[in-house]
Amino acid sequence: MGAKLILDHVNKSFGDTNTLNDISFEVKAGEFVAVVGPSGSGKSTFLSIAGALLTPSSGRVLVGGEDLSYLSEKERHRIRLEKIGFIFQTSNLIPYLTVRDQLLLIAELSGEQTAGEKKADELLEQLGLSHRTGHYPEKLSGGERQRVAIARAWMNDPDILLADEPTASLDLKRGRDVVEMIADGVKRRNKAAIMVTHDERMLDVCDRIVRIEDGKIR
Amino acid sequence: MFLAIREMKYAKLRYTLIGLIMVLVAWLVLFVTGLANGLASDNAAVIQKMDADYFVLQEEADNRLNRSELSAGQVDAIGGEPFGVRMMTIEHTGKVDVTVFSMNPESEIMPRIVEGKSGVVADQSLQMTIGDQFTDSITREVMTVTGLTEGQSFSHTPAIFVTEGPVSAVAVQSKSIHVDGVELLTKKEALQSIPGYKEEQGSLMMMIVFLFMIAAIVLAVFFYVMTIQKMHQFGVLKAIGTHSIYLARTIIYQVIIISIVSLLISVALVYGIAFVLPVDLPFYLTPSLTAGTSLLFLAVSVLGSLLSLYKVTKVDALDAMGGSF
Ligand SMILES: Nc1ncnc2c1ncn2[C@@H]1O[C@H](COP(=O)(O)OP(=O)(O)OP(=O)(O)O)[C@@H](O)[C@H]1O
Ligand SMILES: [Mg+2]
Repeated sequence: MGAKLILDHVNKSFGDTNTLNDISFEVKAGEFVAVVGPSGSGKSTFLSIAGALLTPSSGRVLVGGEDLSYLSEKERHRIRLEKIGFIFQTSNLIPYLTVRDQLLLIAELSGEQTAGEKKADELLEQLGLSHRTGHYPEKLSGGERQRVAIARAWMNDPDILLADEPTASLDLKRGRDVVEMIADGVKRRNKAAIMVTHDERMLDVCDRIVRIEDGKIR
Repeated sequence: MFLAIREMKYAKLRYTLIGLIMVLVAWLVLFVTGLANGLASDNAAVIQKMDADYFVLQEEADNRLNRSELSAGQVDAIGGEPFGVRMMTIEHTGKVDVTVFSMNPESEIMPRIVEGKSGVVADQSLQMTIGDQFTDSITREVMTVTGLTEGQSFSHTPAIFVTEGPVSAVAVQSKSIHVDGVELLTKKEALQSIPGYKEEQGSLMMMIVFLFMIAAIVLAVFFYVMTIQKMHQFGVLKAIGTHSIYLARTIIYQVIIISIVSLLISVALVYGIAFVLPVDLPFYLTPSLTAGTSLLFLAVSVLGSLLSLYKVTKVDALDAMGGSF
């Protein structure tokens, strides 16, 4: 089974500053990679390029075997919907959707409403959220919110999960729970995940650690 | 629809309040439209409904039907259907101003008689029945009602149709008239020159236009502010694969739902109010006028949301990264 994500000699510059410098990088199926590095080193930029939110200035990005280089904006939407799962730092969830509807939205967007209901209930069960399905995000704890975000990210069976500091607003115990749930999902489905984190105490849960400094992998 | 409905259910109060404003504006639009239509009818029904495209008047009449006087020679030369117009005060149960039209009862321009036969045909709004007598307050001539018409009035007075009288104008279907001392008016020009018609319709029309603009602007501001507040959220939605078109559709659905619900309520209110209005208030709203006004209202509302749609397409999915600002 090949790589879920490949970055091939990727550069990214904003104006004349080089934020990412000749990054080549692979994540295999079943692998959970942590990305660490000082503030401003380009971690979020790296994640945005891997997640088809940004286009690289040069180099190639392949997600689940599909080359993103020549895709239109519309096709990049499709890639994000079908092949990538996102977990952001905060404000992941849509305030006016219940926990279950957060997941069903993904099914609605991909036009698989009927299969979606069963899938959503399974995921909520797996992440220990069955008793929260009808709640709005405002009624959830920070940890529960991130678990809903994880469940939503798995909804479409993506090739890769991308998480930008998912534990930043959580205490150690809850933070570890969330990271372990991501790791569990990766193994269970044989998919891949990349997590940007500042918290060294989470690193033992991950399979591999990648350090980014000044836009280069060390 | 998925997002549109759920958001409206979640933020009920917000959407109810904007709906309430729309109900009031839509109600006013419909009410003023009904009033404009009622006044137009009150002032000009006979001419509006007359089966003629052009009117020939005396040149010196200043386009005013009731000032015009045509000689028998001119009438013969013009052809078409001659008729007379004169104002009269009659005595029945009290003194009432009426407009008396004289015309050949067999002619095309004679309105439909809903009851009785030709001779002296009074409009139902005079509350007379066949056989009733009334007196011309100047000549003291006594006339007996032989028939009734419906919805015929002129210059804010009820109309009475008689068979004989001096000719004021000739209704014709073609505009090729070559007779000296006369002037040809289209139906529209004839209506516009009825005293007060232009002014009434003009000022009410201006009110209606302003109300439409208010509706559009209120919705535009409401949805624009909401959109600005939700930029980060739209960023997240786009990042997880929602297309701009889907988000734009969500806003349009919400505008349409608000507008349709508001319109339904205000149509019900307007028809309810029409029942309790005093009968002499000229308010007249036909189903087709209501439907047309409502459709226009809907279109204007959707137009008002365009600004937000533009904003939504400009949201960058990258906004979702880096937490909330
Ligand atoms: N859209 C942009 N336009 C211009 N410069 C940008 C843009 N996005 C990021 N940068 C710059 O690129 C550099 C790397 O930013 P990035 O957000 O990737 O860092 P980071 O490693 O995620 O930092 P942090 O740990 O603080 O989140 C920064 O110097 C930032 O100013
Ligand atoms: Mg960052």
